[in-house]
Amino acid sequence: MMVPRTDDLPFPPSVEEFYPPSLIDGAGYWLTKFTLLVWLAVGLIIVFFLVAYRNPKMVPTRGQWIAETVYGFNRENVAKDLIGHEGIKFAPYFTTLFCFILLTNLFGIIPGIQISPNSHIAFPIVLTAITYVMFIAVGVRKFGFARYVKQSLVPAAPWFILPLLIPIEFFSTFIVRPVTLSLRLFANMFAGHMILLVFILGGFVLLNANVALAPISLLSWLLAIALTFLEALVAILQAYVFVILTSSYVQGALAEQH
Amino acid sequence: MAGDQSPQRRRDEDEAAAGAGQGWTAVSYLIGGMLVWGFIGWLVDRWLDTGGIATAVGAVLGAAGGVYLIVRRLGA
Repeated sequence: MMVPRTDDLPFPPSVEEFYPPSLIDGAGYWLTKFTLLVWLAVGLIIVFFLVAYRNPKMVPTRGQWIAETVYGFNRENVAKDLIGHEGIKFAPYFTTLFCFILLTNLFGIIPGIQISPNSHIAFPIVLTAITYVMFIAVGVRKFGFARYVKQSLVPAAPWFILPLLIPIEFFSTFIVRPVTLSLRLFANMFAGHMILLVFILGGFVLLNANVALAPISLLSWLLAIALTFLEALVAILQAYVFVILTSSYVQGALAEQH
Repeated sequence: MAGDQSPQRRRDEDEAAAGAGQGWTAVSYLIGGMLVWGFIGWLVDRWLDTGGIATAVGAVLGAAGGVYLIVRRLGA
């Protein structure tokens, strides 16, 4: 059985795992494994939806059915249920966001790729920035800037308590929301990748240290398999949570204050 | 296809999703309140050199404000 030499293995795994090298000298950060994966995800989603809808039939083909289910889920359960009738025009964006995050998350467990671009905080930050600008812009467009600020920062409370509450509202709505939205997606993907590295590489390190530890290595690898299934669940769930929260923030911005 | 869920199931999923958003809002009011007013209290501490009491007062005020906001915005 071929076992990798331990001095070659990056064990214990470090943060350097999440800074992949530039693929072409001189390209710097613009061409790494992460950027290739992001472009791959974009290309796959575009191709999938184009092909699925090339010849739509009344009795849908399999690809068409998958595309319709994904779009229908986002349109009904995410956009319409949370936001209401106004939400339907956000459905294409939510569908795209859901598919993109789902695909990039699943890259973390697909053999050969085995890392998600979302495990580097830059990518969740950009997605969150879009959500942040979106819910503020939607609120400002509907209510005008002054009224939107008033209804999102000034709760219905007696005037003497307002100075206590307004900083809390500002912090909670405009600072905590973007930070937790990006951090949640990033931390889930980062931790998932780390734990898979620990258990898989650890199995090899144990084996190299002492052949008698082979049963423990096996246990480590079985656990890695179980954790891979957990990673699949986490990937789908985090994509869903991101889109649901984006929709909830848009709904909060559009809601009339009583 | 897209519209043939029964009304009961849609209401449940709607409540679950709205509940998730409300849960996070409640947590962020509580923790955010304590952080914001704890920080302001800490600044007052440095300015008046009161040795920690202003930070504690700020954190308690922030917690109270957070609880008040939760009750007002999300309903008791």
